[in-house]
Amino acid sequence: VSDILIVVQRFGDEVVGGSEGHARVVASRLARSHRVEVATTTAADYWTWAPYYPAGTSELDGLRVHRFAVAEGRDPEFKSFEAKVLNGEHALADEGEWLRRQGPHCPELLEFLKDDGGRYDAVLFYTYIYEPTALGVPIVPERAALISTAHDEAPLRLAPYRALFQLPRAFGFLTPEERDLVHRTFRNEHIPYETLGLGLDAPGPYDAAAFRAAHQLEGPLVLYLGQVSEGKGCDELLAAWSAYRSRPTARPATLVLAGTLRMEVPDRRDVVAIGRIPDAEKYSALAAVDALVLPSRFESLGIVLLEAWQVGTPAVVRADNPVTAGQVARSGGGVTYRDARGFGDALDRAIAARDALGSAGRAWVGRESSWDAFDARLAQLVALTIE
Amino acid sequence: MTAPTLMVVVQRYGDIAGGGAEAHARAVVQRLRPYFNVEVATTTARDYWTWANEFTPGLNAVDGVPVHRFPVERGRSRDFRLRERRAFSETHTLADERAFVEAQGPVAPDLLEHVHRRGRAVDHVLFFTYIYYPTVLGLPLAPERAVLVPTAHDEPAIRLAIYKPVFCAPRAIAFNTAEERAMVHGLFRNERVPNEVVGVGVDVPAGRSADRFRQRYAIEGPYFLYVGRIVESKQCGQLFDAFARWQDSRGMRATLVLMGHREMPVPDRPDIRLLGRTSDEDKFDALAGCVALVQPSLLESLSIIALEAWACGRPVICDARSPVVWGMTYRAGAGLAYRSAAEYAEISEMLIARPQLASRLGASGQSFVARTYTWPRVVEAYLDLFAEVRARNA
Repeated sequence: VSDILIVVQRFGDEVVGGSEGHARVVASRLARSHRVEVATTTAADYWTWAPYYPAGTSELDGLRVHRFAVAEGRDPEFKSFEAKVLNGEHALADEGEWLRRQGPHCPELLEFLKDDGGRYDAVLFYTYIYEPTALGVPIVPERAALISTAHDEAPLRLAPYRALFQLPRAFGFLTPEERDLVHRTFRNEHIPYETLGLGLDAPGPYDAAAFRAAHQLEGPLVLYLGQVSEGKGCDELLAAWSAYRSRPTARPATLVLAGTLRMEVPDRRDVVAIGRIPDAEKYSALAAVDALVLPSRFESLGIVLLEAWQVGTPAVVRADNPVTAGQVARSGGGVTYRDARGFGDALDRAIAARDALGSAGRAWVGRESSWDAFDARLAQLVALTIE
Repeated sequence: MTAPTLMVVVQRYGDIAGGGAEAHARAVVQRLRPYFNVEVATTTARDYWTWANEFTPGLNAVDGVPVHRFPVERGRSRDFRLRERRAFSETHTLADERAFVEAQGPVAPDLLEHVHRRGRAVDHVLFFTYIYYPTVLGLPLAPERAVLVPTAHDEPAIRLAIYKPVFCAPRAIAFNTAEERAMVHGLFRNERVPNEVVGVGVDVPAGRSADRFRQRYAIEGPYFLYVGRIVESKQCGQLFDAFARWQDSRGMRATLVLMGHREMPVPDRPDIRLLGRTSDEDKFDALAGCVALVQPSLLESLSIIALEAWACGRPVICDARSPVVWGMTYRAGAGLAYRSAAEYAEISEMLIARPQLASRLGASGQSFVARTYTWPRVVEAYLDLFAEVRARNA
């Protein structure tokens, strides 16, 4: 049994976010065999970092959670300052300033690491980009694991991160593609790592026919599940869909958009936006469709792909998103496309081979994302950090 | 094929007084020139305490090597001692640590900009001395091509959290001694960083003459030699006390010869001879004829003068509490260590009484230096470390 501290910028029931969600899962899984505590801020919102939770020590999921006050949230002028740092003439000092203006600036959390970090056998840091990690790992590098959740984005090349990626005793990557990106950027292949992925609960009971009936959907269905926005690539998806449907050979099919609408959706009969669906309905929706499509370019871990494969539904993803294309290549559970033309061919192939692709995906996700497999990878990360 | 490029970063460089690490850097630059396109990045400071701007900023040359000098924005602050006390106290904060590094100086932000921009255009960046601003803030800007020569000893500063990245982020570390390496690994758990005991080469001139020294300074009978700054922090006060107690209590007569800049009172007595700063010829002549070199300092990362004594075939007397000097002396089988003034006297008398023992210890030191601290071996060790850096970044 080891003493493990997890450092993450936000932590709590009201927190929505990929890396924060991963941190919470990891905390709970590790707490089954270790003494686990969490060090975080009082923020719940990732943009303003406004204080939301009281500072001090409380309990969540049976874990001790130490919350430290955010001294400065995100600078209201952050976007324009960032534009200068990422694209314009600037001084070295501006790159450190950028980190601070991004927030959450939380000096008490850093003092806690200096004074109390030595009490823990391992300290797991989440998300390279925020100050608690960028300035926290250098305080306890001899016991730090960095779960970087890195994307190929401009800030990754800023000065505050150069040493950060040389310091931890071990890395936890979400995907092999993230590992390759980090190795390529920092030439730190010598630092031990584990590729964590994710563990998933079994889907539980679901009812595909009930989903079709509830939303009056018939014929071949293609599902997009998630926030409907340009940031997620939905504009390109809709353009590709329109091109696909206007082919002379097009079969009847319907694109179902399940998620909060953050953009205009064209009014056409073969596109149905059903809004955000409850979690309980998710697997019914995934099981009811012929294919899931995930058009985003940036994804640190395509969780929805894993969920689709759990119920045997194939996935259609962009070839130029290394993470999702990598997941599809490893699982054999889908098809990739390069452009709007290729999108239609990919969709046809996925629909035609639904059962074969779906069962390949199901077998892979059963192997890779079982809790046993996930716990074993986590144990390996902890061992690499402590030994 | 053009030679690989090497940038050397050090707090002071050129014709400056004192400064073991700076002299070390300059000697290494000279020896590595045949293998690399070397450039030096440093400050305009000449004095290690004030860091006052004395050299002209900009590009010039030292020994034919291009040297970029950047202005010191802030030298050592007037409240440095206060900042130091705060940072070394049990209850200090991270802000206290940053304030200490800045108060210590030399604060040279333009030098950092240079490392930031130019550092990644060269194949290697060699940082000398872990403790000062240029290394603390510069090394994290080019960690994947950084090689650190820490010249570290066990002192309060090295335990500050702010130094952890300096020891954990570089691509390789060149230690001065096996003892320094063991201390650093114990403090930082950074065994993963490739490293080697590299040190420096020791050159001693031929034609050393003890007689010339005795005549020039009118010194008769057996004498022991101390070479270095004469300061309390190098335990010189304790040495004087132990020597005086020995001489005042018993028969065997001897002289203690002191060479170096005096920064503390020296007892006024005929058997302690203060010669001040001397020429290299005097130093090596004196080494040739001494019973032993005395090295009382506890805080050395590498005692060059001890290596020079051994290279001249003479033994070393040191304090048993000094991890580096006694560690090296013990491994080399090239001297004896005292735990008290009484032991200091016994050792001194034994070496006077048994000149063959003294010569045997000295000869053992001579072969230790020939095994480790020669320029061909030092250069080879650097070439190996740099080759590893290039291979990893290829």
